[in-house]
This record gives sequence, structure tokens and C-alpha cells, in this order.
Amino acid sequence: MAVIEPGVKGAHSISTIRQSPLVRTLGAAVAALPAYQNTYADAPPEFTEVGLRYSHYSEDNLSTDNLIAGARGRYDIDVTQLWIEAPVGSNWSVAVDVQNDSMSGASPWFVGTQIDGQPGVIMSGASIYDNRVEVGATTRYFWADGNAGFNVTHSKEDDYEALALAFDVAWNSSDNSRTWSASASTSNDRVEPVNGNIPVFIDSEDIDTASVYFGVSQILSSTAIVRIGLGYTFSEGYLSDPYKLFDARPDEHGRTALSGGYRKFFPEAQGALQIDYRYYSDDWGTDSHTAEVAWHQNFERFALTPYLRYYSQREADFFSVIADLDEEFYADDFRLSSYGALTVGLRSSIQIGEWQMEGQLERYESDNDWGLYDGEAAPALVNFWRATIGISWRFD
Amino acid sequence: MRKLSTYPMKTFVAFLLCALFSVGVQSDPTTKQDAIAAPEFSLPAIANAEGVISLANYKGSVTYLDFWASWCGPCRLSLPALDEIYQELAPMGLKVMAVSVDVVEEDAWDFLARYPVTYPVTIDTEGNVPKAYAVNGMPSGYLIDREGRVRAVHVGFKRGDEDALRAEILQLLEE
Amino acid sequence: MHYALKFCSFWKNKTLKTYRFFCLFVLIGITGCSGLEPVAAWERGYLAEEAMQWQSSTREAKFKGHVYTSKEASSGGNGAAGGGCGCN
Repeated sequence: MAVIEPGVKGAHSISTIRQSPLVRTLGAAVAALPAYQNTYADAPPEFTEVGLRYSHYSEDNLSTDNLIAGARGRYDIDVTQLWIEAPVGSNWSVAVDVQNDSMSGASPWFVGTQIDGQPGVIMSGASIYDNRVEVGATTRYFWADGNAGFNVTHSKEDDYEALALAFDVAWNSSDNSRTWSASASTSNDRVEPVNGNIPVFIDSEDIDTASVYFGVSQILSSTAIVRIGLGYTFSEGYLSDPYKLFDARPDEHGRTALSGGYRKFFPEAQGALQIDYRYYSDDWGTDSHTAEVAWHQNFERFALTPYLRYYSQREADFFSVIADLDEEFYADDFRLSSYGALTVGLRSSIQIGEWQMEGQLERYESDNDWGLYDGEAAPALVNFWRATIGISWRFD
Repeated sequence: MRKLSTYPMKTFVAFLLCALFSVGVQSDPTTKQDAIAAPEFSLPAIANAEGVISLANYKGSVTYLDFWASWCGPCRLSLPALDEIYQELAPMGLKVMAVSVDVVEEDAWDFLARYPVTYPVTIDTEGNVPKAYAVNGMPSGYLIDREGRVRAVHVGFKRGDEDALRAEILQLLEE
Repeated sequence: MHYALKFCSFWKNKTLKTYRFFCLFVLIGITGCSGLEPVAAWERGYLAEEAMQWQSSTREAKFKGHVYTSKEASSGGNGAAGGGCGCN
């Protein structure tokens, strides 16, 4: 809350211009650009929020046409997210996030040639189980023109451990029409693959990652807002997949993402058009386009958002359908191949007093033919379903 | 009846702009001779009053004029806090008049059902009054003395702000 | 420092185009948007709608980032990257 003291008169006022904190406070004044989301607003969340969210992720079985050996069943993951976010004092907030991923299933071990000459997948054999627990804490400071947050996240599973630190800052222009944001993060990861039903060839390896991002959003009118952002991430260390038989990747990976977004509200329809786009490019030869379109429809206490996502990537330089072991780097991982993918989904949320409930269902399918880039089809492209339910509660 | 007398409007806006860039570090409300008159207006009541309310009705009383909206996050703190101050200081002569700037009146009703207040609330769906007051953030409160002059402006609302606000109002009430 | 050097060498070669685009957008944005009439504080009701936020929720953004980053070759576009996982 700013207090302007009106009435320092004429000439006198000119001689006493001082950059008091009050000026800044008023200038940026909590003008409630996204009033309900503390990511961009400049006041801490008004109330404490606790929430619980459960998602089930399930990949389709591998088609028998593409299977040489092993189980057809691929990954199933149960994800539980629990969080609390609370204001502290008048200028701070604290959030704690806990996430548990419970994974089971098999993944492609390597790609070989079938009797008919077509490539086929040898799966990693019987189902494996793994559990990942991630704990993150964020503190955020709010001042009149912006906010800054600091986050520490630790993730642990049987064969992988990561510790990440992130810092982000957002500040508003004096008329609150434009918000600049910047963030930087670093992560130290350790891979310690476990010998299960497939052999692994390393004991313990490290990956170090650093990432920076810069973005700006601009209010265009009382019903439209646009944003653009550029991010760069660099990793070095053991970047191959230890659970694949033929996988040798460079030990450095630089990647750039240019992203943009647009939101337009239609008061007569009580709904908004949401458009997002990302161009990605890396030094492994991959680049990609991602476009998302959604329509958020408000009803009385209820909202429904159907959405579409299209994604297309170019294969990495060292990818081949069957790994070429004569090269320095090689991989047969479908994730590095050329393909296109489509996601269709529906999200809904309902607000009852201080309770909010949400539900979401989406289907992802990928196909080499849907891509914008040339490249041979990998036999193990993934299709999946994902369903989420969640509930959160706000209290004083 | 949402007409506004435009005569003091320009002076007021000009004055506010000046104030913005020339704030002195004073902790007391502005002295009487420096303050300028709050622009007069009339708006329809939507809660705790009937018909049309004019700011003129409050002449002679220390009045807190509060602009808010149902979509404003900090208003979920400021309305209950202001109501508490109102209930405490009304016996000493404090008046509060609130102006919702919601475009849809039902949104304001819904908000008041969740965060009820006891002071009179009006609505300006066209934004004329906040414009006249050069409202620069949500919520915005204007502390007006017994002579109808604006003595302090509050923009935004955070936890703990109610203490400073109460102290300021008390000071005007004791004048 | 090491990262800074990497960043600079990267800047020099292939993704220069991306950076150029970004700079161009920002320039157009700044000059174009400076002609925009600021939206008054009391007219920001629609902008405060949930429908107008960049993410439907912080947790959904996190989940989504996780799924797509571990199943596709691309990542980023939504702030700085977080920690990795051994997700297959």
C-alpha cells in the first residue's frame, strides 16, 4: 500500500523531488496484472493454498509388427503432486512442492533387423520398477514493481539424483503494461544405473547443466496480451542413455528455445483464445516447432478448455534407425528421430467457495509421416494417454 | 445518474500527477491548506444503502473512498480489513464509501457474498469516477477530510497495511 | 565462465538466426508497443481472468514440461530449465 501525500506545492515540490520508496510503490502499484497469479503480480498470494494432484500416464503397447523380442508393454507412471504455498509477512511467500513418480514397464533396449528386413525393437525385458521423489522449496520476495524467487529442488530415484537451484526475477514498467522477466538455473545430476535384466556399462557419471532465460510480456489492450522469450541451456557430462545398448552421444549439449504466446479474451463469449509457439534448436542437429492452441470457456463457476498441440522435430545428426557403430556418436533412440506428434486434450476446473477442483485428459500420438522434416521412421515412437485430477484449498 | 461534475476533474488529475512525482517523505496526512477537493460524483448503491449516493452526502465527515473490483486479488484482503476499521471507528464519525469498478454488477454481488462488508457500496460500470480520481491500482483508497479534501491516497493492499491505515484515519478524526 | 564461453561460441554459429529473430521481435515490440495506450487500472478485469494466464497452473506446467522433455528431443521455452531425471 502506497501512501501519496498530496499537496507538496508548485515550486517547492520541484526542489524537493526525491526518489522516495513511495513514488516507486505508487508507480507500479499492485495494478493487478494477472491479479490471481503470483508469477506476474506484485503482491504475495493473499491466502495459503494447499493442493493435491494425481496423474496417470500410460504408454500404448508396442505394436507386434515392430517388436523383435521382449515385452510389448511400455511405461506406466503414477504421479502425485502435493504442495503448500503461503504468504509470509507482508512481502514474502514460501512454497513447498513434493512430487512422487512411480514408474513401471519396459523401454526399448536397441533396434535390430527383423526377418522381413524391417527394423524392429528389442525391449528391455521384464518390467522394471522405479520410484522418484522430488522435493522443492521456493521463496519469493515481492516489491511494488516486481518479484524475485529462489528455488531449490532435489530429485532422487534408484539410479538418478539431481540437485537444482533456480533464480528468477520479474519487473513491471511504470504503467504496468510491460513485464520483463529473467531467470537462471543450474543443476548437478548423477547417473548411477542399476544392473537389472539388461547390462549397463557405467558405474556413476555426472551431468552439469546451466540455463538462462529472458522474456517480456506486453499488454496490448484490455483484452489482449502477448509475450516472447529466449532461453539457452547448456549441459555437459554423461548425456548418453545408459539403458540403451547402442547409445553414444556427445558429452556437451547446447540448446536454444525461442517462444511466444498470445491471449485474447472475448467478453461476449466469456472465453479466451490461447496461442503458444516455440522454436527449438540445438547443436546435435535437432530443431523443432511446437504450436499450441486452446480455447478457455468460462461458465458460471466452471471452466472448460479444449486444446491442441502440434510438435515436429528434425532428427539428431548421429541418429539412425539402426545405430551405426562405426561413427563416433550413434543412437537409435526414437526420441532423436524425425517425427510429428499431435496432442488433443480437455481440461476442466470448478470453483466452489475456497475449493478448486480440476480434471484433465489428453491423448498424444506421434508418427514419422506427420513430421515437417525428412528422416527415416523409428520403430518405437510413443503414443500415450494422460489423466489428471486435482484439488486445492485456500484458507487464511 | 452516473453523471459527474467535471469542473474539478482536470485540476485533480493534474494535481495527482504532480503528487506522483513530488512525494515528500512525510508520515502525516497532508496539511489542510495543501490538499485539494475530492471530485464530486453520484453513483447507484448496490449494498448497505438505497438509491443513489453522492459524495456530497458525506461532507462534514472523515470519509474513506475505496475503489475495488471482484477480480482484484488484494481486494480479498482489503475489503475485510476496511470493514473491520469501519466497524471500529464508525462510532467516532468515520464514513466509508466503496465504488466497485466491475463491468458486470453480478460479479460485484458474488464477491460481496463471499467477503461481506457493512459500509455502503456503489458501482461504476463505466469507469468515469476512477478516471476522475486517476486510480492507479486496485484497490485504491482516498482519505477525505471533513472539508472534502483528499488528504492521502492508498494504492494496493498487503497484509499489515491496515495498521497504517487505521493510524491515519484516527489522526484525521482527531483533527 | 566456462558456460559464458560456451554461450559465446554458440552465439557465433548456427543459432545466430534465432537470436537475430529475437532481437528483431523485441525491437518491433518496444517501438510498436510504445504507441499503445496503457490500459487503466480499473479496466484490467479481463486480463486478470484465469483464461488470460500464461500457464493453467504452476503444477500442470511442471508436469507437462517433465513429460514432454523426457519423451521429445526439445526442451525449454518456459523460463530456465530445472533439474533432470532419469526418465525413460
